[in-house]
Amino acid sequence: MPLRDWTKAIGDWFELRLGLSSTLSEVAAHPVPRSSASWWYVFGSATFVIFIMQIVTGICLATVYTPSAEGAWSSLIYLNYTQPLGWYLRALHGWGSDFMVGLMFVHMAQVYLFGAYKYPRELTWVAGCVLLLCTLGMAFTGQVLRFDQDAYWGLGIGASIVGRFPFVGFKLVHLILGGPIIAAETLSRFFALHVFVIPGILIGFVALHLFLVLKLGINEYPMPGRIVTREHYLQDYERTVTGDGEPFFPFAAQKDMVFAGIIILALLVVAAISGPFGPNGQPDPTIIKTVPRPDFFFLWLFAVFALLPPWSETFLMLVGPPIVIALLFALPFISGTGEKSWRRRPISVVIVILAFTTIGTLTWLGTFSPWSPKMEAWSEAPTPVDYVKGRTPLELQGAILIQSKQCRNCHALGGEGGMRGPALDDVATRLTPDQIVRQIIQGGGNMPAYGKNLSPAEVNAIVAFLNTMHPRSELGARNSVKPEQPISDVDSHHSPAQ
Amino acid sequence: MSARRHWGLALSSSMLALGLSACNSLPGRPARADYPLRPSAVTNYSELYNENCAGCHGVDGKFGAAFALNNPVYLGIVDDKRLTNIVARGVDGTAMPPFAASAGGALTDEQIAIIVGGMRKQWARDGAAEGAPSYATNGPGDPAQGTKVFATFCASCHGADGKGGAAPGSIVNGSFLALTSDQDLRAIVIAGRPDLGHPDWKDYLAGEPMTAQQVSDVVAWLASKRPAMPRGASYAQRN
Repeated sequence: MPLRDWTKAIGDWFELRLGLSSTLSEVAAHPVPRSSASWWYVFGSATFVIFIMQIVTGICLATVYTPSAEGAWSSLIYLNYTQPLGWYLRALHGWGSDFMVGLMFVHMAQVYLFGAYKYPRELTWVAGCVLLLCTLGMAFTGQVLRFDQDAYWGLGIGASIVGRFPFVGFKLVHLILGGPIIAAETLSRFFALHVFVIPGILIGFVALHLFLVLKLGINEYPMPGRIVTREHYLQDYERTVTGDGEPFFPFAAQKDMVFAGIIILALLVVAAISGPFGPNGQPDPTIIKTVPRPDFFFLWLFAVFALLPPWSETFLMLVGPPIVIALLFALPFISGTGEKSWRRRPISVVIVILAFTTIGTLTWLGTFSPWSPKMEAWSEAPTPVDYVKGRTPLELQGAILIQSKQCRNCHALGGEGGMRGPALDDVATRLTPDQIVRQIIQGGGNMPAYGKNLSPAEVNAIVAFLNTMHPRSELGARNSVKPEQPISDVDSHHSPAQ
Repeated sequence: MSARRHWGLALSSSMLALGLSACNSLPGRPARADYPLRPSAVTNYSELYNENCAGCHGVDGKFGAAFALNNPVYLGIVDDKRLTNIVARGVDGTAMPPFAASAGGALTDEQIAIIVGGMRKQWARDGAAEGAPSYATNGPGDPAQGTKVFATFCASCHGADGKGGAAPGSIVNGSFLALTSDQDLRAIVIAGRPDLGHPDWKDYLAGEPMTAQQVSDVVAWLASKRPAMPRGASYAQRN
């Protein structure tokens, strides 16, 4: 018998018993509204395709990764530097997670704007919300498995948020970390979560999500004025599909496939060019020379936590997320019927724009965290050469002290240094020498008082230097009282009444 | 299978092999230089210098706020032991902090040796300090003599009284002197600051280098101007 006949015989044998291909072709041929074959409808399937890739690359990584506190970091280093193409595998998995989270948010925004969560697809939305939480859970636990300094401190922050829960905080931290601190058991726990628990839930809910999409049909492209009601929607949809329907495959699926192909290619290219994420330094808390950052999709949260007023932190951290999540789940029950089209739902459009702008801005801030001092600036950011040339010996001493007293860690010069305090390049146009003295000695705003940490000579030197910090074309700030009088004279006759 | 298909298979597999071998040169592949070292395991001189020294002493040892280390005369008069000690223990009474882990800094002894060796390798020049007065003073200077030495060698730029002339600013300012050690003053008188145009011991007057005694005298004169207690903020800066 020729090869082709053999294959057919084997195929038939299985088909008779499983009936797979008939089921599949039925699924593939199910009619969908013509209007739903839109480029707007490709994000869900692309997210799914990336999820499959994550499973494949994840399994490959699991064959090498050592889920123990001693071995994890070294096994990542092994993948990066020794294992052929190990770095590429890590890059694919790492960038894959960014792609998946990104596509998922775009899919969610599209579903929201197109009213696809409305009757009868409420459960699809709810399943989607579970998938959202699971995907973020995967992202966080994945970041922990990349057991480096970012992972260590990120986990520390996560644990300390959980520890804020009244009464049960400590117990919860214990449960998550497998002890009071990040130790040997911690990583095993996160490995189990990342590799067994959350993927299990994800696969289950993906199945439910897809089943519901097939069962209820793909949302038709919303038309302004076509109102969803519980009474008529199902018949209307049925009519659309029978009257103006097309088989899902290949009619609607071709756009999905093209887009998924583009996304996969993009992932392959981005991973090849940008490489894997870390690992950066060893997860050793004795290494304090580190600037830990959460992964991209948590940067906005990092920014939120940094910028919350301290008095509101515990309340907002513990109450805020549950409210937001509850609102997400409740959405189809709040507005389950009515207009689907975003053209007739201005508030929804505003909500989406607001959410994306807020998250985008916070993410951008999170990338350089202007609220954190740059702890190495004092010794590695040189005084700009222009601020050194032509200065007096005392001013130069002041410039040295700006470095050695670590003023630079919060105050930038020439664009380098911390951004916690104002840049000092033009400080003399804003403050008179007396005001600079007062600010240094007493502090104020966010600045600590340095009066006890600086000798009079040191303050003199720093003020002398800062007093030169104004553009050549602009005079420095002067006292408003007798501005023409030399300041030393004003000082020597100083009395508050004058 | 037809011959054409064989050729196709051969071609595609060789393309694949080529593609895979190109993977090693993809830009995303982590380079050896990206290997995450412990801070204490960094042994690259440039990295160590740029992270720890460049802030005050300038990129390439020039045009920093603090003393320029890219100065062959200075490197000629100071020996490794003293240089190592300055980096490791800092200089009391000045802004130079200790960098050795044993003194509260972050560097290992090995790293300090690398910094000292690297500076010397990059910036020292044989014979640059030939005939220069020694790094350490070999006896107390005489402030009275120092007045004359100052008038001879320094006044043309720093003004007759040291309060400024062609060179901006006073070098007898109480706060400045309070923040500067005698050894710092000595180093600058001998080695100058070539980046900022301050001459070294042999270039103040053509054909008349300063003697070791003259250096000690002028430093003693400067030190005599140093107030025991510099006056408080905003007053003394105009002294």
